[in-house]
Amino acid sequence: MTPARTSSQSVPSGRKPLDHIDRREALRRVGFLIGGAVSAPTVSALLAGCSGRTSSSGPYAFKVLSPDQAELVATLVDLIIPDTDTPGARSAGAHEFIDKMLADWLPDAERDRFLAGLAGVEARATTAHGMDFIALSEAQQVALLTELDTEAYADAENRPASDPPFFRSLKELTLAGYYTSEIGASQELLWMAWPGRYDSDVPVSDVGRAWA
Amino acid sequence: MGLTLPVATDNTHPHPAAVPAAPHVRRQDIYDAIVVGTGISGGWAAKELTEKGLNTLVLERGGPVVAGESYQTEHLPPWEAAFRGRGNRKRWAEDYPMQSQAGPFNEYTAHWYVNDRQHPYTMGRGKFLWIRGYHVGGRSIMWGRQSYRWSDLDFEANAKEGVEIDWPIRYADIAPWYDYVEEHAGISGEALGLSQLPDSRFLPPMPQNVVERHVRAAIEQNFPGRTMTIGRSAVLTQNHKGRAACHYCGPCDRGCTPGSYFSSISSTLPAAQATGRMTLRPNSIVHSLIYDEATDRVRGVRVIDRETKEEIEFRGRLVFLCASALASTHILLNTRTPRFPNGLANGSGTLGHYLMDHHFKVGARANFDGYEDRYYFGHRPNGIYVPRFRNLDARSQSDFLRGYGYQGGAGREGWGRGAASAGFGKDLKERLRQPGPWRMSLTAFGEVLPRYDNFCELDATVTDEWGIPALRIHGSLGPNEEAMRIDMAAAAAEMLDAAGGQNIQQYTAPYALGEGIHEMGTARMGRDPRTSVLNGWNQAHEVPNLFVTDGACMTSAACVNPSLTYMALTARAVDYAVDQIRRGALRV
Repeated sequence: MTPARTSSQSVPSGRKPLDHIDRREALRRVGFLIGGAVSAPTVSALLAGCSGRTSSSGPYAFKVLSPDQAELVATLVDLIIPDTDTPGARSAGAHEFIDKMLADWLPDAERDRFLAGLAGVEARATTAHGMDFIALSEAQQVALLTELDTEAYADAENRPASDPPFFRSLKELTLAGYYTSEIGASQELLWMAWPGRYDSDVPVSDVGRAWA
Repeated sequence: MGLTLPVATDNTHPHPAAVPAAPHVRRQDIYDAIVVGTGISGGWAAKELTEKGLNTLVLERGGPVVAGESYQTEHLPPWEAAFRGRGNRKRWAEDYPMQSQAGPFNEYTAHWYVNDRQHPYTMGRGKFLWIRGYHVGGRSIMWGRQSYRWSDLDFEANAKEGVEIDWPIRYADIAPWYDYVEEHAGISGEALGLSQLPDSRFLPPMPQNVVERHVRAAIEQNFPGRTMTIGRSAVLTQNHKGRAACHYCGPCDRGCTPGSYFSSISSTLPAAQATGRMTLRPNSIVHSLIYDEATDRVRGVRVIDRETKEEIEFRGRLVFLCASALASTHILLNTRTPRFPNGLANGSGTLGHYLMDHHFKVGARANFDGYEDRYYFGHRPNGIYVPRFRNLDARSQSDFLRGYGYQGGAGREGWGRGAASAGFGKDLKERLRQPGPWRMSLTAFGEVLPRYDNFCELDATVTDEWGIPALRIHGSLGPNEEAMRIDMAAAAAEMLDAAGGQNIQQYTAPYALGEGIHEMGTARMGRDPRTSVLNGWNQAHEVPNLFVTDGACMTSAACVNPSLTYMALTARAVDYAVDQIRRGALRV
């Protein structure tokens, strides 16, 4: 047993954020409070949300990226957001999200530019080391990405917004795919369906991490 | 329920059933009242009419909504959204090219908005965004919930400045009705005692965060007469009339099963239902009104069933049009009779004209240092409000008429900042785990003057699948608004600068009339039947049993969000109508 926890240990005011179990209780209380206004099926449906209401079955089927391209993107996103004390972008499926964006969201011209950018990464790897990107050592991969990163932001002011450097587009898609995933939003960051209250001023340490 | 209204027996006011229905349409029972629309105004009309004992038919052109069950995206986490919140862009381009331009439209709310292909409108001069939600509850489900009283500064402005016509009412006429609707709806906010922004009957205010409090103090210190309060919001900060206090999940407009914000679904329609006197009929598109030339009365409505396309006539002694500003006017324009060839109750020729909105998308943002160790818990569905400070008196005169207020707020930047600068790997991940810099934004919402050439009319060339001619809308800002926009950006930057803001960015983005989703006017109130459609009781000058109590009635626009005023005007109009009928002064 540890001594009584100080304020830095938990969310403020001694009140605990609602975890999934508390949320169930809260929802039941709501049903009681407004008695009958929420039907039993509604409460069940909301409670179903506590345990994840959809589960996609089976592996993701890539629509745009070839197996080699998918492996390259998976490698790249994991270099951008690696495993630490929480899983990284590959574990969170950021490469699958990128494939979906390429297939169903981005205009064709942007999709083609992204694919050309991928080919450019391979070309750099081949030119510098005579090998595919995924065959390089991690140090070589990081060095190559550092080049791309530096170039991408060096002339940021002079580049038209309609023509972003590939690495910036890749980073945007990676961050979007990661931080909106279940891992990124609810493990790496803080996501709560039912905070239950609003405190306008609390120490960052009490919340612990950024809201998703 | 027996008849609750006296039935006129003299020859000039025949029983409504005496007006024969066209032979091919179904005949229905006769109601004491018919309400068209179930949004903020329609919900209030339904509640007030039924609570006063009238058997009331409530018509909604869209489908049913059931609290909770219809809220398909409530609390949906981003990883369960097909496009992680970014939305199905390709489908939006096909089906929602106009609706998707609205700020509140997103992957989680798209299902509340109309399909633009199915519900067309056309544009003449200028671009107009007509943002709509066709379902029971209307836009009361998706509204921004900001709730402000008007003041005499607003009601007197037209007369004092010689702009268009005078309002037929003053603040004293509506103040008790603000009290009345606020008591039921539940408005949270902070009392300030300002004459230009009268206080409501408030539930406790939501708190401002540390940077908002910092900026507020600087504004009050550096700009005498200005302040920055918390938004006055129809979101409950404590349990209220059987509805639960807010649980601070954030995105209200996905729907709220506990009913913690005011909507027709959470508040007024359940009250109307509880009387046992409401007949709610969804999927009922009102084509036009049935008008009896001999008595100057409407006798009911012509409805087209949205699903079967069957034409049905409903009879009623009193009609409340609450379909939204443009939709109510649309119905009147589409009701053409020998006496009113240009639209019912349009002897003045003003029907359709003086269309207004609130112009916005202009303001400033800045970063604030010094509060890096402070954060907030929960998602406050509300921001700040800077009440109007221009043209209040001789000291605050400007080179434009009227004024504006600011909405906005401070928050800490999120993971999106990660792609704005170089860096990747473990360091980036660690950096983005922590909240980013504090950033405060101020967005101005300004008054749009009434102008005859901002108007809507029937488009003879386009009809929808129910055979109703589309609206053709003409609208643009004028020189007064353009002059105001320059000041709106500059004054925001000045206040952020006085508060020590860094990296201050003024911004002015393209704005289309209607984009504020506060469309007002087109059947304005006034004292003179020659220059207005409605009198000071929202009653059509020329058709005494017809009332229009949504945004169509507005004679000017003020700069504050209008919904609370529609609530108060609706409750007031119902009280007047029923009182007049009971006293025999209004024959129906």
